[in-house]
Order: sequence, then structure tokens, then C-alpha cells
Amino acid sequence: MTTETLEPAAAPALPQHSRGNRKQARRNTLIGWTFILPNFLGFLAFTLIPVIAAFALSFMEWTSFTAPRWVGLENFQRMFQSDTFWVALRNTVVYALGHVPLTMALALLLAMLLNRKLKGIGFFRVAIFFPYITSLVAVAVVWNMLFSPDSGPINQFLNSIGIAETPGWTSSSDWAMPAVIITSVWRDMGYYMVLYLAGLQAIPGELYEAAEVDGASPWQRFWNVTIPSLRPTTFFVVVMLTVSSFKVFDLIVVMTNGGPGRSTTVLSQLIYQEGIGEGKFGYSSAISLVLFLIVLTVTVLQFKIQQRRER
Amino acid sequence: MKRTTLAAIALAVTAGLGLTGCAGAAGPAEPQSQEGKTRLTVSVWNYEGTPEFKALFDSYEAANPSVDIEPVDILADDYPQKVTTMLAGGDTTDVLTMKNVIDYARYANNGQLQEINSVVDTVGKDNLAGIDAFDIDGKYFAAPYRQDFWLLYYNKDLFKAAGIEDPKDLTWEKYTEIAKKLSSEAEGKKVYGTYHHIWRSTVQAIAAAQNNADQNSGEYSFMQDQYNTTLDLQKSGATLDFGTAKSQKTSYRTMFETGQAAMMPMGTWYIAGILQAKKDGKSNVNWGLAPLPQKKADGKVTTFGSPTAFAVNKNAVHSDEARKFIEWAAGEEGAKAISKIGVVPALQNESVTAEYFKLDGLPTDELSKKAFIPDETALEMPVSDKSAATDKILNQEHDLIMVGERSVTDGVTEMGKRVKSEVLGK
Amino acid sequence: MTNMAEDLKAEAPFAGAGLAPSPEDRRRTQERRSPRAQKKRTADLVIYGVLAVLVVALMVPFIWMVSSSLKENNQVLTVPIQWIPSEFVWSNYSDIWNRIPMMGYLQNSLYLAVIITCLQVLTGSLAAYGFSKVRFPGRDVLFLAYIGTIAVPWQAYMVPQYIMMQNLGLTNSFNALILLQAFGAFGVFLMRQYYMTIPDELCEAARIDGLSEYGIWARVILPLSKPALASLALLTFVNTWNDYMGPFIYLTSNRLWTVQLGLRSFVGQFDAEYAMIMTGSVISVIPILLIFLVGQRYFIQGIATSGMKG
Repeated sequence: MTTETLEPAAAPALPQHSRGNRKQARRNTLIGWTFILPNFLGFLAFTLIPVIAAFALSFMEWTSFTAPRWVGLENFQRMFQSDTFWVALRNTVVYALGHVPLTMALALLLAMLLNRKLKGIGFFRVAIFFPYITSLVAVAVVWNMLFSPDSGPINQFLNSIGIAETPGWTSSSDWAMPAVIITSVWRDMGYYMVLYLAGLQAIPGELYEAAEVDGASPWQRFWNVTIPSLRPTTFFVVVMLTVSSFKVFDLIVVMTNGGPGRSTTVLSQLIYQEGIGEGKFGYSSAISLVLFLIVLTVTVLQFKIQQRRER
Repeated sequence: MKRTTLAAIALAVTAGLGLTGCAGAAGPAEPQSQEGKTRLTVSVWNYEGTPEFKALFDSYEAANPSVDIEPVDILADDYPQKVTTMLAGGDTTDVLTMKNVIDYARYANNGQLQEINSVVDTVGKDNLAGIDAFDIDGKYFAAPYRQDFWLLYYNKDLFKAAGIEDPKDLTWEKYTEIAKKLSSEAEGKKVYGTYHHIWRSTVQAIAAAQNNADQNSGEYSFMQDQYNTTLDLQKSGATLDFGTAKSQKTSYRTMFETGQAAMMPMGTWYIAGILQAKKDGKSNVNWGLAPLPQKKADGKVTTFGSPTAFAVNKNAVHSDEARKFIEWAAGEEGAKAISKIGVVPALQNESVTAEYFKLDGLPTDELSKKAFIPDETALEMPVSDKSAATDKILNQEHDLIMVGERSVTDGVTEMGKRVKSEVLGK
Repeated sequence: MTNMAEDLKAEAPFAGAGLAPSPEDRRRTQERRSPRAQKKRTADLVIYGVLAVLVVALMVPFIWMVSSSLKENNQVLTVPIQWIPSEFVWSNYSDIWNRIPMMGYLQNSLYLAVIITCLQVLTGSLAAYGFSKVRFPGRDVLFLAYIGTIAVPWQAYMVPQYIMMQNLGLTNSFNALILLQAFGAFGVFLMRQYYMTIPDELCEAARIDGLSEYGIWARVILPLSKPALASLALLTFVNTWNDYMGPFIYLTSNRLWTVQLGLRSFVGQFDAEYAMIMTGSVISVIPILLIFLVGQRYFIQGIATSGMKG
């Protein structure tokens, strides 16, 4: 049994008539646009244009009260010389590297655990989603208590299994980021579980049956049926996770507020503080342009990988 | 077939609902302004939870029947951000409340506020605490109506129980000594000698005020003593440690109102809060006020504070009415109106102070009264376009010193280095 | 950059164990009845055990939130943390309705969340069909532009956006928020990815049957994508319901405030009423729970139909 035959039939898209191809293409374009238009109009007017305006601002100096002034690359120069920018960039990347794979793995695991007919499964599904709807203040207070260096249950547990040098978690520069990552994975996995749960529904049962007839082990079925079939969902989850990791803001603000020192300061905090906090909108736009380019590169790479696999 | 109809209905309903505007608005109806009255709009934060605004507006409306004040209520947390956004969009709110002087500097320097020298002159510069903060090259763009400053709250019962006399003329040494004595642990309940909230001002602004130093200077060795004192208290367990207080979002009100802390340096805004808590029966703490501990025991009291002010928006619809309102609010009438609810007005004279001490529930002993008249009140943070950036760095380094990741000397050096290169160097 | 394959490999050993119950069950159908039933029961018990532990770990902060909602304000943030209120202040739950116009705020939130969710699901699934099942030049570039904007933090463009809205005279109204949030890229992206998993042969067959593209979308694709529609609706609803910054910037009149704004009004300049905030948070979670309980049923359908055949 090979992977190819098990994959959901890949898309040769619309019928390719050898004659009237151009006419067909034009018709397709028209049809495609009518589908996209209702959303695109709103998207263009209220998201795309402001985003482009913000990017234009990154080459200007603007306090929001007076007219913007063209300054060329000055904002970028300042940014690349700023120590805080590099610290925040590093923290953001570290956060993403921890948050993305862990959340994805756990969300998938949970989705598969909950994707079954079982009495009361609805209750458990709701429970997994609870962290996402619990007030952030409660999340921050309770997790900080769990992480408390001296009396917290986590360190007491670590002590009991023989680890003498327990981490200082949110009171320590080195361990604050891992603490934030753990909390955010805990919080977000229910959210992405919902997406995986939907994705799992789309896998035709026949594929599993066919694999079984061929004598595939559960592991092989997971690897050869579940994973390939979930590829579009996984692409979505990876992109959304990457994007949200690079934009992480709320949780860090309530949990550590970027501290201790600058150890958990991330780019979006910098964008917020410099922009609307201090009125340096040009500079904050420059940071967001850089953030955008990083995320876009990552996304395009993933898009290409996914497209190659789809073929 | 059924599905398409369903989709069509959904589309029609949503489009219909969406475009009829605020049809769904179900909050409280807005008070409609009456005929022939000027409607003056004032930006405020947390209108329900900040009674001074209502006190001011009600009294002003009573004195000026032709004016109708409409508060533009904004959440306290992100007040400056919202005001900035609104102003960027050309908002026409008449009076803007300046939550702190750093924002004031930004609005004023960018020409977003009207100059109101005449208002300040009428009220009188001499009596207005904190007015210097608003002086930008001889021009005033806002007038303070409220001035909070720091003093020491203490729990009289805990003092009595430990056999310690009231905290009169305290130096920091003496303060540390009694804080340690006041700490105890009984029946699993820990009582701390004092509680220092996590704000950097509890160390840095005190140090700056009492050493007459400038927090924008890039030179911070003056903070060392104050840090050593604070860390010593923390190490001996006489105050809750910083890491716990920060991560647990410890409420200073809880610490003091439940008798967990015997002393607490804090701002005068808390007076109204504690009065309310006692009135509602939520706390039975027997409290008093004392002057902030000092460097030297020479009887002179130096503290720090920060003023709150009203300014006129450049795009105001009713500029003249706005000025009139500010003149009244910063003046004696306004001062008395907010004194009645326990808020400390910027205007200080005998009749205002007398009015203040008429307040029900306020401790009336001599020490509390003395605490109320400090000899000198420095500004919490200087007014400058560098203040916001410096503030951020000082905050980060404060964290590191307080959790013990940096020694005091290293931390103070690092502050200087960073402020010089990241703020002053530019 | 994350390597998907690596990640999945890393977690696979766990997954292997608890995974693919449906094929497992199906295989067992061939075995004799009673040992199969017994085996299944033990498996179920293990799963229940795992889930129970998980639920406790996930609910702890929520439990604290509920507990705090039953305390006096100055008892909430104590050191050490207090799990059971020394005295249950049930009156918080009656007081909050008088302290703030909670009912009005709930209605506003509901109004916004429902409209935005409907529009997002409708326009998102339409556009997603265009992006996944119709092939035309420039499609992928346009799609990347959609995803690209998700990558820009809102903090970066909220002021330009606000100025634009102000010029259109839309600020301080629900319309502003509806227009901003209903056409986001999130829904398009989610639905497109789901449509990619639906075999094109289905559309092909429908075309041969003479259905137009719109007919295929409405009669073939939509019914098949119920789980995705449910998850999109659910996530959009929750995000809109919990949004704070958007309503904060755009809704100035108290009359228009949402629950999240109402709760923040308990935060003062120097302190906050956490007991009230927690009470309000507990109340505001209830609608989400209801929606979730309704929506999660759609996640079982795929399994149910394919399980039947075994």
C-alpha cells in the first residue's frame, strides 16, 4: 500500500476542454471573482487599505496629530540599531519555536482522543476548550501561583522527583519564557483542537478500511491516512499558529508584562508601546513591516511545501 | 432548494440588521441635552468608579444652569491610547483630562491642546500644587485640579499590639527597624511589617524626590540606598517579596485592608478608597496617616506626587465654555467639590484643607494632619519628551533588581548605560 | 520555522496509542462478540481516566475564577492563594446587574457576535469556494494577500483604520466593528483549507449533472462542510465575544458597550474590583458554553456515518 493511493484524490480542478480553453478560463475568472467578491470588498476596504497605509507610514515620521513627514529609511536604521528591537525579535522567535510545535502536537493528539463516540464526550470537548474562554487574569494569577519558585506545586513536584535546582519560572529571566510558552500552549490547544476535530471529520472512513484490508498497523494508518488527509488542516493550523505566535500580545501583557527585565518582551508589545503608547507611529509601522515580512516568508514557504505535496 | 433559500434569508437578515446601524444598541440610553443649553463634552476615565468626575460635573451644572456636561467615558486601563486614537481621527471633545504629565507633554508638544495661560493666571499659580509640571516654555496647556502625593498608611491596632508608638518623624532606618518588629506569623496568618507595591516609583521616585535628583539624567547612583533598604526589608520577610507580589497581582488594598501589612507607603488617592471600604463594612482596619519616611530626621518632609489636569482640545467645539469650566474646576469651588469625596485637590489653601478634614471617617489625629502638609512635593516623573522611553527602561531594570537577578550596583549602572544610549544619545 | 513532519513524528508515539479508534473498532467487529465488548469497555475506561485527569488540569484557573466570583473584593488576590471563599458572597451575582447595565452589554455583545459570525461564515465560505474549487489566474497571489494581512498585528494599523472609519462617519457605531471583523481573512482561509480536503470528483459529478457553480457550492459543498462551518462559527463567535480592543477603540458611547468593555470598567486607575470582574467573566462564559454544546455535535457526524458501515 503506497501513500499515493491513500491520499484523498488531488485536484485537477475544472474540466480542461482542449477547445475553447481561453473562453473557459475567462468564464472561470468571472465565476471565481463572483464567489470572492462579497468578502473581498469588505476585506479590501477595511483591512488591506489600512495595512498598506501603515506600511507606507514606516517610511515616514508621524505623531498622529500632525501631517506625516517622509524620512526614508531612518526608522529602519533606528530599529536595527536598537538593542530592544533585537531582544524582542529574539524573544518572539523563541516563543514561536516553542509554541507552534507543542500546540500543534497536543491539539492533534487531543482531537484524536476526542474524535470518538463515547458517552459524555461533549462535556470533555467543552472542557478542553475552557482554558481559551477563562478570563486571562485568572489564567495569569493561577499559573503564576503554580509556577511560584518556592511554594508552587510545579517546583514542589520537581523537588520530589529529585531535581534540586528548580527553575525560578516567571521570576527569572531565563525561565520566564518557558513558563509563558507552557501557559500559552495550555491555553491555545483547545482552540486548535476544534480545527483538527473538524478536519478529522473530512477523512472518508473508506480510506481506513482500505488500509486495514491491506493489513496496516495503527501506526501506519496514522502515518499514511490521517496525516496526509489532514494536510490542508495542518497547513491552516501551522500558518495560524505561526502568525498568532508572532503576534502574541495579551497573554504576555497580563502574565509577565514583558518582564523580568526584557526577558519576555515581544515585537507586538514594542509595536503597541512605540506606536499608540508614545506616538511614534512611523517607527512602530517599521517594526510591523519587518514582522510581516518574516511571517510572510514563513507562510510562503509553507504554502509552497503544501502545494508540492498536494500535487 | 431549501438550503439556498436559507442562505438567502440569512444574507438578507444579516445585511438588514447590519445596515440599520445601531438598532441593536441595548445599553443605557444617552441623556439628551436640553434645549438652549451648551453641551460641554469632557473625556474621563472610569466614570462610575472615579466619583470625582461626577462630583465636579454636578456642582458645575448646579452653578451654571446653562451648561450640560457630557462625560465621554473611557476605560481607565487604556485611556491614553483611546484618547490618542480619537484625536488622530479629529475628535471634537471639548475638555481632555490629562491622566499623567507624560501624555500631557506629548499632546502639548504636538499642538493638540490650546494654550490656557489666562486660566492658570486667574486661578493663581502660587496655590496650585504641581503647576510647574505644566509649564512648557512659559506656556500652560492644562491646569491641574487634583494632586496626589505619597504618604505612609499605617494600621494603628497592629502598632498598639506590638507596643510601638505611632510612626512620627521616621527615617528609613527607623522605618526598617519597626517594620521588622511588626512582622509576625500567628495561626498560619502572616503579618508583614510593611507592604511595598511593585511600582518602580515606590523606590525610584522616592529616591529622586528625597535626593533632589532627576530621573531623566542617565545617572542613577542616588537610588542605591533606597534599593538597599527595600531589598533588606524583603530579605528579612518584613514585606511581601516582589516576585510573588508581581506574579500574583497582589492588591495593595487587600494587603492593608485585611491587616496583612502594618504599614504601606502609598498615594493619597487611596484615602477615598479606604473610606469607602470602611463605610461598606468591607474592612475594619483602624488606620492612620503619617508622613513618608525621610533620609534625615530633620523634621522636613519631602515626598512626590503627580497632578491630574484638564486641557482644552484644539478641535473643541466650545472652547470658551471649556476654559470657563477648567477655571472653575481648578479653582476653589472645584477643589471643595472634590474634597468632599476624599480626593486631594491641586489647589491648596486653608479653607480647602479645612473642608477636606471635615470628611467623615478621616483620622483626625495630629500626625495624620501633619502627613497632609508635606514641605516639598517633587514630581513623580519630569515632564519631557524623553520621559516615556526612560520610564520603560527604569521599569525593566527595577524588575531585575527586585527579583534579585542584578545586584543594586549593577542594576543602577545598567539603567544609566541604557538610558544614555537608548534615550539621551538620540 | 517549524518542520511539520518532525513535529508530528515527535508526538506520534503517543498518538499511536490512543489513536484511530474507529478502524480499531471496525477490526474488532470481525472478532467474536463478548471479548470485543470487554476490550472496548477497558479501552473506554482508560480513555475516561485520561480525560478526567486532563479536565482537572484544564479547569483549575476556571475554578479559581468561579471561587473568586464568590468573594469580597479584598479577598480575591490574597497571598497565599485561597481556593474556597471564607464566606460565600452570592450577592455578587445579583449586584453586578445593578452595578453595570450588564443585560444591555450582553445584548450588545450578542448582537455583534451573531451578525459578525453570520457574515463571516457566509462570505468566508463563498470566497473559499472561489479559492479552492475554481481555477483562475491570480488566484494564489490574491490568496497570499489574504493570509499576509493576518500576519500584520492590528496594533500596527488600527490608527490609520480608525481615521478612515472616522472619515466615513462610522466610528462609535456597531457598523464599524461589523465591517471590520466580518470580512476578515480568517474565515476564508479556514474554509478554503477544508474545501481542499473535499474531493474534486464530487464537484465534477455535480457539474455533469448540470449544476451551476453556485448550485454546487450550496447543494454539495455546504452540506459536506458542516463540521468546518461549525468550527468557524464557533471560533468567530468566541473571538468576537471576547474581543476587547476593537470595541474599546470603536465604541465610545456607553450605550454601545459590550460585555468585555463593561467588565473592564471595574478596573480603576490604581486598583480593580476583581470579585466583580470574575463574576462578570463567569456570566459572560455561559453563552459561549451554550453555543459550544450545540456546535460540537457537528464534529461527530463524519464518524457516525462511516462508523455505520463497519
